[in-house]
Amino acid sequence: MADARRISPLADRARIEAPDGAASLAELPHLGRLILRADGAAAARAVKKALGAEPPTEPNTSSRSKEALMLWLGPDEWMLVTEPGSEEALFDQLKDALSETHCQLVDVSDQLTNIELSGARAREILMKLTTLDLHPRQIGPGDVAGTTFGSVTATLFVTDDVKKHETQRFQLIVRRSVADYMWCLLAEAGREFGLPEQQPRSGETMRP
Amino acid sequence: MFVIECPWCGRRDQSEFSYGGEAHIARPENSSEMGDDTWSEFVFLRTNPKGVFAERWNHAAGCRRWFNALRNTATDEILAVYRIGEQSPTVTTILPATPCGEAPIGSGNDAAKVMRDGEAGKSAVEDVP
Repeated sequence: MADARRISPLADRARIEAPDGAASLAELPHLGRLILRADGAAAARAVKKALGAEPPTEPNTSSRSKEALMLWLGPDEWMLVTEPGSEEALFDQLKDALSETHCQLVDVSDQLTNIELSGARAREILMKLTTLDLHPRQIGPGDVAGTTFGSVTATLFVTDDVKKHETQRFQLIVRRSVADYMWCLLAEAGREFGLPEQQPRSGETMRP
Repeated sequence: MFVIECPWCGRRDQSEFSYGGEAHIARPENSSEMGDDTWSEFVFLRTNPKGVFAERWNHAAGCRRWFNALRNTATDEILAVYRIGEQSPTVTTILPATPCGEAPIGSGNDAAKVMRDGEAGKSAVEDVP
C-alpha cells in the first residue's frame, strides 16, 4: 500500500482557470507510473497476455489496456500510467508475466507528476514554450513526445479520451523537482488568455 | 541552430540533442599491452575534417537514444542519420573545393574562394601557379 501520508508535488496548487474555457491547469495527483524496459517480441507478447494490449512499437504513440495507459518513451522503453493506488497490483501482475523475459520494471510513481492543461487555447500555450511542432496535423490524440518546455524536459501526452464537445487536453509528465517551475511557466504562458498569475514557491520571478 | 532527424522521433530542434563527438571509434581490445602514445591516440586524437564527418548524437530530451549522423562540417548540412551499429551510408554533398580548403558555401573569404558560375568576383584558382 502506498503511504497515506504522501504529498503530491503540487499539493499546494489548486486548479486554476481562465475565463470562457480558454484554459485550465490542474495536477493529476498520485497516478501510478511504471517504467518498463524490455527488448523484443517476447516481452510484447507477455505484456499483451497480462494486460490485453501490446505496448506501442510506433515511436511517439500510446496504447491502452483496461489497467494501464502505455506511453512510448524509446524503442525499448515504455511508461505505464495507472489510476492512483493500483500501481502495485499492476507491478506484481507484470512481474509475474515477464518473469521469463529479460527486462526491467521500476515503480517511478513518486518521481513524477502529471500536469493537465486543457481548454481552447491549451495548444497555443504549449506552442509558446517548446520547439516541437504542435500543429494538429503533426500531433494528435494519443500521441506522445519527449521534448523541452522552457528550460526543463517533459513528456507530453495528448489525451485520447476526449468526449464530444470537449476541448483537447494535454498532459505534461514532469519530474517532481521541476513541477512547480512547470506549473508557473504554464500559468505565465496562459496569462494573455486569462490564467491567473502564479508565484513560484522558491521566490524567483517568472518575468525578468 | 539546426534541425536534426532522430531515427526514431523524426525532425526535432537541435536544442533537444547533445553531441557525442566522432563516431566509429572502437575501444582497443589489447589496451593492457598498449603504450602511452597509442593509448593517448585512442583517447584524444580525432579527425577534424572540413567536409563529411561521422559523429554521434544523443536525443537527450526525447527518446534518449544514441545515433550516428553524417554532417558536412563546412556547411552544417546533415546528410544522413543512422542507428548505432549500422554502416554509414554513402552520401553526396558539395565538398570544399578551394585551394586552402575554404568552404564554397558560408565562407566570407572571397580571396581564397572558388567562384562558381554566376557568382561575382574573380576566381582564385586562376591565380594559383
